[in-house]
Amino acid sequence: MRIQAKNIEQYYGIEYVLREVNVEIEAGSFTAIIGESGSGKTTLLSILSTLLNPTSGEVTFDGKSVGELGNIDVFRRHNIGFVFQFHYLISYLTLRENIALSALDDESVEPLMESLGIGRLAARYSDEVSGGERQRAAIARALVNRPAVVFADEPTGNLDTKNALGVYELFKRFSQGGTGFVVASHDKKIAEYADTIIEMEDGKIVKISKR
Amino acid sequence: MITPIKALRKNRFKTALIFISMSVSISAIFLISAISGGVVSMYSAMLKTDGDIIVTQKGIADTFFSDINRSMCDEIAKMEGVREAGALILGAAPVEPLPIVGIYGVSENRFKSYTLIQGSTPKNGEVIVGSKLYETLKHPKTIILSKQKFTVRGVFKSRIGFEDGGVVMSLEDAGALFHKSASIFLVSLDDLTKSDTVIEKINLLTPDIEAKTTDSFIDSYNQFKIIKTSSDVIGAMAFLMGILGIVSMMSMVVNDRKTEFGIMRSIGLSSWVIIKKLLAETLIIALVAFCVALGVSLGVLELIEHADKFQGYINGEITVSLALNVFIVSVVMAMLGTLLPAIYAARIDPMTLIQRGGS
Repeated sequence: MRIQAKNIEQYYGIEYVLREVNVEIEAGSFTAIIGESGSGKTTLLSILSTLLNPTSGEVTFDGKSVGELGNIDVFRRHNIGFVFQFHYLISYLTLRENIALSALDDESVEPLMESLGIGRLAARYSDEVSGGERQRAAIARALVNRPAVVFADEPTGNLDTKNALGVYELFKRFSQGGTGFVVASHDKKIAEYADTIIEMEDGKIVKISKR
Repeated sequence: MITPIKALRKNRFKTALIFISMSVSISAIFLISAISGGVVSMYSAMLKTDGDIIVTQKGIADTFFSDINRSMCDEIAKMEGVREAGALILGAAPVEPLPIVGIYGVSENRFKSYTLIQGSTPKNGEVIVGSKLYETLKHPKTIILSKQKFTVRGVFKSRIGFEDGGVVMSLEDAGALFHKSASIFLVSLDDLTKSDTVIEKINLLTPDIEAKTTDSFIDSYNQFKIIKTSSDVIGAMAFLMGILGIVSMMSMVVNDRKTEFGIMRSIGLSSWVIIKKLLAETLIIALVAFCVALGVSLGVLELIEHADKFQGYINGEITVSLALNVFIVSVVMAMLGTLLPAIYAARIDPMTLIQRGGS
């Protein structure tokens, strides 16, 4: 799926957060949006992922604008995955139940958990596993419906270096399998794994580099 | 089914509060409906005993105020199609130490309606008392009514609480006590299909009386309407209080679980899935609350029925139809109380999840 953002601008009152943003995310690529806090990367991620409507400009998915996608809930469930800075697993559900929550095919849950190295933790609750394992479960939840693209906002923000690199490696591995990743992060190590790096500063894209 | 139960267990404290709120409301609806229904059904049963037709003073609002000439009862008894006619005086008076007791003066032929478990039919100056009253008064030999002493000739058992906690005497004694000839006549017929003809004939006897089938009298009886309306109003208030309790508690629950619903929205679960999830949770609480309220209400009614203080006059009954109606009310209460908080939950913007950690 190709995602295009055209002339995106976002204002909160008279303060602009994004200005003249034009970007194109290729299918199956690993794109990192990097920048300091307040640079606008999370806002851009939210707009690209349909969670936020821009003040002006347009986002298209394979040429279709958000308004043309039909039921946005159904579109998200089939095409988009999310990973947040906090794992946001539902505490009263086991890891398996969390992952299966939105699964279109329940049988895909176990193999996915195995491939992410958390298969043995299926019956555990989020407070019974480590931070890295929680984030792997959150990634599994995002991947369970084989979405075209996964958006991740500071997914390693609460992880130590070892677990953070593990997460990047997972993203890299799944992107090679055809799932696109768009990751907002202030961690510059992500650049070593991403195919495309979008650098942001003061609400503008200052550099796009491809590897 | 498992997921809603897990969610309820996770939020134990608030689940318990919703459960208590619903149980109290449902119990209140059960009790007020059962007690008012019991009063109506007891009095109706009393009037229906050997009474296909009831004759009262014309235009009175309450049988206790009715005063008709007892001599007409004999004329009615002789009418074609009438199997039997009996006169009753309905009154109430204090019997030490009780502030009020139902007093029934009955014509000779109606004594057979009372199943004696002790003693014999009373003569003038004598009474028979209901078994409940007999126990409450600790097996009295005599009772004093309006400064007159009456010998207790026998004890009868009646399933009708008003009678079982009351005193039955001859029509003459009751007439002297309450200064009236008779309150009502109860007329039984050979053939119920001829009731209209008999009613017409009775109404022609004098313009001061009014005859109706007992069923139609019960349907139009003002006292029953007042009891029923009061019960409906109190029941409706309990229903509204229940809804308000659920709305306020569920709003807190939704607020506590904003993140959970935000996640659901972000992963593409529809608003309807979230609404259904919350409805399922409160429905489970409603089912348990209904069962508990039913048990509590049956227990309370049993206690009231056997409490000496109430002399058996409060004799609530929970019929299958009442239980079914209250069950439906409980489900509706749960649904209505949950709907607004659930709609709010379904509209939670997943952006709130990003804004907590993003830049």
